Amino acid sequence: MKTRFILPLAWVLLSPTLPAETSTAATSTPVAAAPDGNTLYRTWTDTQGRKLEATFRGIENGQIFLQIRSGYVYRLPLEKLSPADQAAAKTLKPEGLGIPADPHLAQAAAQIDVLVNAGLAKAGQKPNPLASDEQFVRRVFLDLAGRIPTREEALEFLNDPSESKRAKVIDRLLSSPGFNSHLFNYFSDMLRMSDEAQKARFYTYQDWFKSQLADNVSWDKIVYRMMTADGKLLDNGATGYLLRDAGMRLDNLSLTLSTFLGANVACAQCHDHPFADWTQHQFYEMAAFFGATETFGARGSPKRANARAMRQVIASLEDRRLQQSAKNLLRVNALAVEDGPENDLKLPHDYKYTDAKPGDPVKPKLVTWSDDKAKKAYQGVQTKSEEDLRSQFAKWMTSPDNPRFAMTIANRMWKRIFGLGVKEPVTDLDDPSSSVNPPLLYHLSHEMVRLKFDLKQFMRLICNTQAYQREATSHEMSDGAPYLFPGPILRRMTAEQAWDSCATLVVGQDVDKYHEHRGATYASAMNIDFGTDAKPEELVAKIEKAVATMRSFGGKNGVAKNAARRKRRMRLMETEGEDLATSPPVRDGLVLARASELPQPERDQHFLRMFGQSDRQIADSNSEEGSIPQVLMLMNGEAQRVIGSDGSLAVRTAAEQGTAAQKVESLYLSFLSRKPRAEELKNAVAGLESGLTLRDLTWVLFNTREFIFVE
Amino acid sequence: MNLQNQLDPISRRAFCERWANAALGVTVLHGLGIRSSDAAGTAPANPPSGPGFGKAKNVIFLQMIGGMSHIDTLDPKTGPTQGPKAPIGTKAGFQLGGTMENLAARADKISIIRSMSSKTGVHASGQYLIRTGYEQRGTIQHPNIGAWAQHFKGPSHKTLPSSVCVNRQPQSGNGFFPSSFAPLPILDPDAGLQYSHSDATPEQLIKRLVLLDQLDAGFRQRFQTSEVKSYTQFYDKTVSIMSSTDLEAFRLTEEPDALKEKYGRNKFGQGCLLARRLIEKGIRYVEVAKGGWDMHNNIDDGLEEHGAELDVALSALLDDLSERGLLESTLVVLCSEFGRSPRLNGNGGRDHHPKVFSTLLAGGGVKGGFVYGASDKEGMSVADKQATPQDFLSTVGWSLGLPVDEVVMSSSNRPFTVGDKGKVVLDVFA
Repeated sequence: MKTRFILPLAWVLLSPTLPAETSTAATSTPVAAAPDGNTLYRTWTDTQGRKLEATFRGIENGQIFLQIRSGYVYRLPLEKLSPADQAAAKTLKPEGLGIPADPHLAQAAAQIDVLVNAGLAKAGQKPNPLASDEQFVRRVFLDLAGRIPTREEALEFLNDPSESKRAKVIDRLLSSPGFNSHLFNYFSDMLRMSDEAQKARFYTYQDWFKSQLADNVSWDKIVYRMMTADGKLLDNGATGYLLRDAGMRLDNLSLTLSTFLGANVACAQCHDHPFADWTQHQFYEMAAFFGATETFGARGSPKRANARAMRQVIASLEDRRLQQSAKNLLRVNALAVEDGPENDLKLPHDYKYTDAKPGDPVKPKLVTWSDDKAKKAYQGVQTKSEEDLRSQFAKWMTSPDNPRFAMTIANRMWKRIFGLGVKEPVTDLDDPSSSVNPPLLYHLSHEMVRLKFDLKQFMRLICNTQAYQREATSHEMSDGAPYLFPGPILRRMTAEQAWDSCATLVVGQDVDKYHEHRGATYASAMNIDFGTDAKPEELVAKIEKAVATMRSFGGKNGVAKNAARRKRRMRLMETEGEDLATSPPVRDGLVLARASELPQPERDQHFLRMFGQSDRQIADSNSEEGSIPQVLMLMNGEAQRVIGSDGSLAVRTAAEQGTAAQKVESLYLSFLSRKPRAEELKNAVAGLESGLTLRDLTWVLFNTREFIFVE
Repeated sequence: MNLQNQLDPISRRAFCERWANAALGVTVLHGLGIRSSDAAGTAPANPPSGPGFGKAKNVIFLQMIGGMSHIDTLDPKTGPTQGPKAPIGTKAGFQLGGTMENLAARADKISIIRSMSSKTGVHASGQYLIRTGYEQRGTIQHPNIGAWAQHFKGPSHKTLPSSVCVNRQPQSGNGFFPSSFAPLPILDPDAGLQYSHSDATPEQLIKRLVLLDQLDAGFRQRFQTSEVKSYTQFYDKTVSIMSSTDLEAFRLTEEPDALKEKYGRNKFGQGCLLARRLIEKGIRYVEVAKGGWDMHNNIDDGLEEHGAELDVALSALLDDLSERGLLESTLVVLCSEFGRSPRLNGNGGRDHHPKVFSTLLAGGGVKGGFVYGASDKEGMSVADKQATPQDFLSTVGWSLGLPVDEVVMSSSNRPFTVGDKGKVVLDVFA
């Protein structure tokens, strides 16, 4: 979408016959609201007599910000306006979201608001009022940085008188480490990034993915790299995506299509889709692009190099346990991706349709959707040569012209902060016209392409819309009525947001400091060159070293299997000196690091799992539901104890305050990013006077619905 | 702990206003997913019928983790594949594995399916299959029978959950149903329900709860969404569990020592005792897991420990249920992800063997002293009347009175049935 062409046309000399402007905001037409919902249009005149019809967004540092109908926001020195307008500006209340960071961004955000508002208007609905600063700061921290703001961060925002503070905090959070951590959690759930799979640790995959996010690599590139990665898991973490399902090519493809392209194909793996257009044959044609790809025993792995020699070495080991470890080591080293010379995909033995026979070889062929007019993605795709089948597929899949790739990730990112996709479920975009607002969905897709799949810029865009910055929807949607985004929906925090917020209450913003990197250690210990000339003694030494390293990673999920041993280890960690960058603080057995730096998934009884973190086995399966064990954990578990302990930052800060009322206010700011209302303050102070302590008060605030929901 | 008695009059009034409904069980239960016909108490239009249908009100689902050797337990062989102990005869006319001494004396109470067969020899996927009837997929989670029962019949108790799992994680047993259908995990039967004790004194806890109610009232008022309401209900239910006598359901300390001895002083034995206690208190579906069956090495040692524990606990459970008159209304089943290879390997152990294995059913309208199907002479393959995990689970669902043919759509709009269209093994019912 072009944004610049409007510039030269914007200042227009209005006909002198028009009635002179009045101080009561002359609107040109009676109804038309501004693109993002502002209403008070007014004709502004500069010192040269040029006129501009615009709404007033605010004044900062002698600059006035005016938004025209297209959404573009002009910034000009106040003194350039006519004296009458200068005077008027000083009396006007700024409309909308304050001063935006960048005029083009404001315009692009306004375009989205136009479409959202049009969808609402069509259904006779109105958008929600704009969210208060208190609501906004907590929401934007949770949505962009993945945790609540600390008391200080909340106060800094709330006390900032600047008209541009919303735009500024968005930009600040986008470049904070929390942004990557939070985004990693999302993809860890979507891509099932479990620490353990195929009897190996997928640490290199996680580290690689984190590095892509840290470098803000665009989404199309990240996906292309995963689809086309070669080599051993230990050497190239990007292979992790395909190796996660090593030996299960069809399952992997089914997930690839639904996750990245919103193609609802799960059924077509086994039979023609009963409702959608997908046939089983089409599914196999797509799978044929991976028909030459080997995910087990590729070149450079022991299977190829010198399997017999290795087996002999292993057999020569006398220690049974060492022998077993050596076998595991072989297996880990065999995890690799490589393209062979031949597409060997055949139809299944129970293929029952008449267009082909069971066991027939399948030629690769790309699917098309009925509405894809942009055929560019399909051009130049080579399916005759069997080389590079995978990269042909990846090129088509991640092309800006692919009819679903941009739309799928745009819809997913929208859902992350609005609580619902424009089209649900996000894994089924086969029919975009059945979404609640098709023009919006297509527009978001185009914006994703315009922003070159830069997820940070896309989040920046949608966070700057009025739609996002409105109050959360408070009333229950009537059954089946489509949600048209009068504002974000009220959402329960994700497991990771809740956990990271708990850690923030105890540690403060330093919680973002610790970063886990296990990939390099793991790879260097496990990666063995199974060359033909390696001597048995050398191999034995290497195997022993690898086994020792494995032990340091502990048992399942990276923690010692034995609970007592784990506790002992934790206690040890608690007594050791704390440098937050090298080792996270440990309290009551809880490692207070961001969820993204903890085992994927955490152990079953951990706060994260009990609060809905997925087991990283099923795609997109984080849960936002409650349960009795979960509430028992919230009321009586370790987290509430650690948060309410004397050493916790929230408690320490509150304790430093003078009066009971100030202490209550301090805790409210820490937990809920707002000051208590009069009635709440009265009740809380009365509680403290009747014998409750600050620890009790933390328990109470921690257990409110308000704490675990995102307004 | 009775919270209400600890209160001064003012606090008690405030407490009662908020929680009386929950404690009295008046609270509307989490209604998601319960069919309206059940909620209204009307029966489906065409209820299935046949032998054994709906005879069981409760199910105790004993899952042996690791692959229980069929030859050494329920399907003994003589000859080259015989295990460390010779088979034992029973008065029911069939034999049991040498380690099943106690169970042999109760053969008249059990039915055995000896022709089970599954396609997977991998632990995790086999365990998933025998628990849900479905193959494990990366796109959806399938419910266990307890969740299916809650879907069709509603909750089984006013305050307590309808499903519990003992000695195991819930592992999303609710499947695609709401998480309130998930089994409540009891990881250590002796310790009971995790986090059920507050670290505050009762008086302090009441004060906290009253203040919590006050401080959160505004938010609850503003956001009357189903998610917020359902959380409030979970809090109500949890508080009422903590403050009511219901929590006793999870306390094995209430059971006499002599009975604890009878079940065996180990996690599985105590887990079976807890299962009986929970069934008695109105919990419909209890899973009890027992590990240790992956006997690749020295199977005789393994059987001596784990075989004996199973034998003792299962026998005590059958006796106990029967003495309390609960066996007719309680289906007890025993299963595992697969059997073990008939031939011993080089390490004196047996390896994975999904081709044929056995399951056991008792109570809940099931015949006593009955064997369905057969393996061949060596215990290698099915010789007669093959039954799949789907058939087995459909049979469990049938016994509970679930409409096993009824298709239920998941939220992703895919069709599922109890036991994935398995065939009910009607022969096992009296």
